[in-house]
Amino acid sequence: MASALKTYGTLIGFVLVVVFFWIEIPDTFMTAKNWLNISQQVSMLAVVAFTMTIVMVMGDFDLSVGSMASLAGIVAALAFHDGYGVGAGVALALVIGLAGGLLNGLLVAYVGILPFVATLGTLTVYSGLAFLVSGGKTIFGRDIPVAFSGFARSGIPFSDTVSVPSLTIVAALVLLVVWFVLEQTTFGRRLYAIGGNKEAARLAGIRVRRLRFLAFGLSGLGAAAAGLMYASRVASANPTQGSGLMLDAIAAVFLGMTMSEEGEPHVLATLIGVLILGVLGNGLTQMSIDSYVREVLIGSIIVLAVATSSIGKARG
Amino acid sequence: MTLLSIRDLDKSFAGARALGGASLEVRAGEVHALMGENGAGKSTLIKVLAGVVKPDAGVIEIDDAPVTITSPADALRLGLRFIHQELSVVPHLSVAENIFLGRDYPRRWGVMIDWDGLNRAAAAVLAGLGVDHIHPARKMARLSVGDQMLVKIATAFQDASVEGGVPARLYVMDEPTAALSAEESQRLFAVIRRLRAAGAGIIYVSHRLDEVMELADRLTVLRDGLTVVTRDIAGLQKLEVIELMIGRRFAEGYPPRLSPVSDEVALSVAHLSTAYLQDVSFEIRKGEILGLAGLEGAGQSEVIRAIVGADGGHDGAISLAGRPVKIDEPVSAWAKGLAFLPRERRQEGLVSSASIAGNVSLPHLDDLVRFGLVLDRAAEAEQAVELGRQVKLKSKGPKQKVRELSGGNQQKVVFARVIAGKPEVLLLDEPTRGVDVGARYDIHALLRQLTAEGKAVVLASSDLPELVYMADRVIVFRDGKVTTTVSTEGLDQAALAALCFGTPTVPSA
Repeated sequence: MASALKTYGTLIGFVLVVVFFWIEIPDTFMTAKNWLNISQQVSMLAVVAFTMTIVMVMGDFDLSVGSMASLAGIVAALAFHDGYGVGAGVALALVIGLAGGLLNGLLVAYVGILPFVATLGTLTVYSGLAFLVSGGKTIFGRDIPVAFSGFARSGIPFSDTVSVPSLTIVAALVLLVVWFVLEQTTFGRRLYAIGGNKEAARLAGIRVRRLRFLAFGLSGLGAAAAGLMYASRVASANPTQGSGLMLDAIAAVFLGMTMSEEGEPHVLATLIGVLILGVLGNGLTQMSIDSYVREVLIGSIIVLAVATSSIGKARG
Repeated sequence: MTLLSIRDLDKSFAGARALGGASLEVRAGEVHALMGENGAGKSTLIKVLAGVVKPDAGVIEIDDAPVTITSPADALRLGLRFIHQELSVVPHLSVAENIFLGRDYPRRWGVMIDWDGLNRAAAAVLAGLGVDHIHPARKMARLSVGDQMLVKIATAFQDASVEGGVPARLYVMDEPTAALSAEESQRLFAVIRRLRAAGAGIIYVSHRLDEVMELADRLTVLRDGLTVVTRDIAGLQKLEVIELMIGRRFAEGYPPRLSPVSDEVALSVAHLSTAYLQDVSFEIRKGEILGLAGLEGAGQSEVIRAIVGADGGHDGAISLAGRPVKIDEPVSAWAKGLAFLPRERRQEGLVSSASIAGNVSLPHLDDLVRFGLVLDRAAEAEQAVELGRQVKLKSKGPKQKVRELSGGNQQKVVFARVIAGKPEVLLLDEPTRGVDVGARYDIHALLRQLTAEGKAVVLASSDLPELVYMADRVIVFRDGKVTTTVSTEGLDQAALAALCFGTPTVPSA
């Protein structure tokens, strides 16, 4: 019983949350439309959490993802403002994301700064840059091309009344790619080995520094993608709009980690973590419950999930 | 007067016996040396005393009354103090603060710390040990290792007022001089003599025979977990001590050599130097087992680590089969056909959260790829099964987690990794340490088979019989330098031990 609770506690919690809202909101919660709606609401968080999983597999963190998301949205919007096309703006933002991520990787892997400190520093830098280049203003209206903002409103028809949102599809594709990279490639296997025992991995011929460097690059890339999705969804970009993503993404990965016997992050488990956060947000909003209550609940759930999975591990 | 008496202590870890009939008796006012080879059971015995390891059987008495020590707090209450070479000090605090750590500092007006009073009290404690050159207000980090050791002893010494306990009366010192200069060691010995004169008992563990002969009153020798003898030091010769430690073991239990050594050089190392090593040169031929011997930390591990680039750069040249190679990180060592088995299995060898297959494949993942990047799990599992069979691994299958395996089987997993890439040269650092007898034999048989296939094996070991019976030649290290190279033809363990200890009284074999 205790061991089942340790491994499946988070999953059981997720089911309970779903059942709770199903009962409390009988008419609208358990519908295809609402679930597609949830999937779109969580798609940005999902992308950040999936790519965050890549660095957390190695036992590292990336605190700069929220700022990077904001910066990427701003960069794309400014590019549009200056007359560049949708493709060019998006590409530029993604390159900035990759470069920012690789800078984190450089600081962590080659300079040797703790990830917490390095990415805390770049969090501030990227956030400052976002304000700097935007002049602190929101970029919206005619500056944002319809082709860009229309993407978030588009979808693939599912039935006569509902369609699968494009953002959901993007998140699903990122999930597929990250799952493939982490679970099916030698690259992923090496990252897990680093997370398991950095020194043993290095002595067994794994290029620990290079892999950490690259993994942070992917995290930055994911953050930039999420920033673009956000900007598309709200048809505007401002220098703070990604700021909520970082804590939620780390929380989602942590929730997922509680489902692994080894305490390793796996991207499918991260998906469950993302859905817990998303369903709570959606359900509580439908019940017209204050968003602060949501925060209290989410914080409690994380602590509870990690506590149940840590039972018996404490020493001293 | 007998202070401490330990009788017939038994302890096994996962089937491997660490102690079996270990006894030790320490009198008040004596320095008692505890001697034995690596793995003889000294550490386990000390851990039992410290309440860190629970014995399977045996009696511990203090002042002739049986005691049970189930935690470090128990040991502290009974007046036992432990001084290790790895010191637990708080480097950013002052000497005085370290001495009084966890206790109430003297106060001024009830709230402010009376720093002068604290420093005076610390100075008094140090003076009680005859130490007057350490200023109590200095930061601990700025002290030499030797002075830190003295402060640590001072901490233990003044530690009289443990809640419900007795004052410090038995000090256990485990290789205290390992990192000390000769002068610092002498200071330490002066302090130890003072403690002895004050009626304390001291259990002194050291590999340095000269020190033991100089300092100790009696010695107890452990061998394979059993107390062999307790003797007065007076009248004892160094060579006798060595013989007591290693015993007279036989070649039985070692697989015979299968093939002669070839003439072709597999690996040559010329003028290898690092921060620690000084100008190490040697050659090893195909089919040869070259032993690296010496006291703990004399340079054997460092040579292997330097060759595979584990610690970054080094001076000197390395050639494989006559071709010069440059290796500055482990990944290039593996790629060039050098396989490495690190000394510390858990910290450096295994990813314990991963499966057997995952641990075996780690350096060889590039050989297990389909379509350029997809890991071929079937081939990986197949590899683990095949190699597991070769190393006689006992497991539930390639997917089993390595942390569920016994020490011997874990080591076999590392061995499977070592042979997976069909390396030309194997660099093995203590490959049979902490491994049960059966697994040890399997590993030795595997080494014979590999050398018969023409592989060269560099074998660093603190297990002298293993070197004498498995190696063809042995290089002896001392303080990072090669002192001598001997053939094992007709070499006996006592002679090899004498070479390691640097005792010149033995005729060279």
